[in-house]
Amino acid sequence: MRIRRLGRGLLAASVIAPLAVAQAQTPPTIEELLQRLEQQEQAIKVLERRLENMEEADTTAAKSAGQVKASERGFTVQSADGKNLVKLRGVLHTDGRHMVSDEADLPDTFKITRARPIIEGTVGGIYDFRFTPDFGQGRTVIQDAYVTGRFAPSFQVTAGKFKSPVGLERLQSANDIRFVARAFPTSLNPNRDIGFKVEGNVLDDRLSYAVAFVNGSNDGGSSETFTDTDVTSDKEYVARLFAHPFGSSESFALRGLGIGIAGTYTDHTGTNAQPFLPAFRSPAQATVFRYRAGTTPTIADGERTRLAPQFYYYAGRFGLLGEYTEVSQDVSRTLDTAVVRSDTIDTTAWQLAASFFLTGEEATYRGYKPISSFSIESGTWGAFELTVRYHELDIDDAAFAGGADSFADPSASIRKASAFGVGVNWYLSQNLKWVINYERTSFDGGAADGGDRDDEEAVLTRVAVGF
Amino acid sequence: MTRSNRTRLRSGLLILSAALAAPALHAQTLLNVSYDPTRELYEEYNAAFAKQWKAKTGKRLTVRQSHGGSGKQARTVIDGLAADVVTLALASDIDALVTQGKLLPANWQARLPQNSSPYTSTIVFLVRKGNPKKIKDWSDLAKPGVSVITPNPKTSGGARWNYLAAYAWALKQPGGNAATAQAYIGKLFKNVPVLDTGARGSTTTFIQRGIGDVLLAWENEAYLSIEALGPSKGEIVYPSMSILAEPPVAVVDKVALRRGTADLARAYLEYLYSKPAQEIIAKHHYRPRDPEIAAKYAKSFPKIELVTIADFGGWAKVQKEHFGDGGVFDRIYAR
Repeated sequence: MRIRRLGRGLLAASVIAPLAVAQAQTPPTIEELLQRLEQQEQAIKVLERRLENMEEADTTAAKSAGQVKASERGFTVQSADGKNLVKLRGVLHTDGRHMVSDEADLPDTFKITRARPIIEGTVGGIYDFRFTPDFGQGRTVIQDAYVTGRFAPSFQVTAGKFKSPVGLERLQSANDIRFVARAFPTSLNPNRDIGFKVEGNVLDDRLSYAVAFVNGSNDGGSSETFTDTDVTSDKEYVARLFAHPFGSSESFALRGLGIGIAGTYTDHTGTNAQPFLPAFRSPAQATVFRYRAGTTPTIADGERTRLAPQFYYYAGRFGLLGEYTEVSQDVSRTLDTAVVRSDTIDTTAWQLAASFFLTGEEATYRGYKPISSFSIESGTWGAFELTVRYHELDIDDAAFAGGADSFADPSASIRKASAFGVGVNWYLSQNLKWVINYERTSFDGGAADGGDRDDEEAVLTRVAVGF
Repeated sequence: MTRSNRTRLRSGLLILSAALAAPALHAQTLLNVSYDPTRELYEEYNAAFAKQWKAKTGKRLTVRQSHGGSGKQARTVIDGLAADVVTLALASDIDALVTQGKLLPANWQARLPQNSSPYTSTIVFLVRKGNPKKIKDWSDLAKPGVSVITPNPKTSGGARWNYLAAYAWALKQPGGNAATAQAYIGKLFKNVPVLDTGARGSTTTFIQRGIGDVLLAWENEAYLSIEALGPSKGEIVYPSMSILAEPPVAVVDKVALRRGTADLARAYLEYLYSKPAQEIIAKHHYRPRDPEIAAKYAKSFPKIELVTIADFGGWAKVQKEHFGDGGVFDRIYAR
């Protein structure tokens, strides 16, 4: 448009100016004027056409040009058609622990619990990959390294190292969990493992399923416990179903209900060097239970099955998460060449955790979106959430039977832990939250004199950055 | 076998049969990536081939088309556009699919008759009605005051034929050599006000935008333009000599094998040589290869002296010498 106006101006000027000059000389003929007009018209048309071609070239280039985006969700480089992209995200958790109870074994401390650059992306529109190294706690671990082929919403195949599809709280992202320490059921469910997984959503996304064939991880453990390489040929089968039965209901109160069940099965045998048995920690991360070690350790010897019914419910500002996990583990202990004790140890854990946004945000299982961010200038405070939970861990009495021949030492390992926690989460922005919890845990057994281990009271804090 | 097992077996066979039959129920598709001016030709050809294919095999076929400057189209296929077949303006664009994309074998041109060119064309002049600038031959294009419309030889196959036809004429002039030919080409391109990316763009510039005194056009484009404009708006001038343009066609093996369309793609291109297809080709003002059809449409295609790409030493030499980065065209156009 601008070029047309400029062209017409030039046209007028080119006709009038020479006219003015020519008045002093021989006036131009009509034919000359018409010729000049035609030339100017052609010049304008040429300019307009060049502009059209430039715009067409820009449009074509834009269609094939990659895009670089930066947002609160991370940094992304992607192709014009969006089918190929690489995204850089990250998680940084700085935790603090202050022991209110006089627990000599646990000093007050700050630590970097998680320092994870997350590299994820998509190739060809349907193949997603994720690579997550973790430099927290003074070590380097590959947390995630997998590729997923999204062949259909109901059929996706994953290969690599990924979260085993079992525990509800374990499957929640570290940035989304409401407490600093995950609850006892998560101590029984596997963390990350290496293998294959098939999963999908069916029935209008009201039901999701997952089946996996993996190396097999200890309770609460990941495959890096075995340096990410299986030391036996025994593998673990995993299956999970999770439903949103009222997912498309018009009732607001019903839509947020999710309910499911997961299970695992393996048959494996440990060794003295690698017993394949877990240790359990308290919310303040004190080790409160372990099987006997030493020259005649307790080892896994036979089947291990897990069953984990679970649910969550989110309605408006309110959220509720509950799960129960039972692990049935065959163990044995070779006391001498002639005496081998064997038994099945059933360990259970459950939790019920509730949360409530004081500032009106919507509670969800995944992610959070504060209505405002903390800003002194704007006078906004971000989001505040109250949390409360109760969780228990119960070890089978069979683990302690047999005196000195028992599978676990009752003077060093608890039989039961019951923990109550309250907390406040302050979401300063979409990417930054500050968590403070008070957890009180009481124990049955686990004291050297045969009595109960002292109660543990701790204030746990976390500054969590995630994008 | 128990009754329940028989039922299971029947159900399984039924499911298996449905699964095997399912592909047959779906229409087959083919993507033909072509150069700019062939839109109307392949619209009619595709309908004819699909009808013939259905009659022969019982399968429905949808042929999708993509059109653009020949060089640009070749680039797009190299970059991943899943073309089952390419029908481009010049062999060097298909050679690029071999060397840069490894998409088909080096001997692709020998796989179909007549160097895989089922039709030919040439370059003519389309001038305004009455030919006010009296443009008769290549020499007139370099005169001051004559505005010439041609696409960019870097992106358009047609433009490369234009360039070579002009270059060939300059070489044949008394005392003609590379230096005089390049000087002539320089003068010609000084008279080009707009360089479109493809032949169809240049036709738009000349016809719809009314820019230029002469359009260097594919013969078929020139006729299509007269049909679109009306005979009162333009006329075709055949220069004293031109170039035999042999637009080639080829199956893109890597894509066709992956998509399972190799046989279909081959049949699609082979049908271009059939008499019904050669009729369609002639109707759309491309010079047919079939002698019988060519004789039938002889009046539509005046005889003129035609050089060939072989006179220049072949496309590989021409591409490197004239149209590659830093080649003759880049040097002339930069001045």
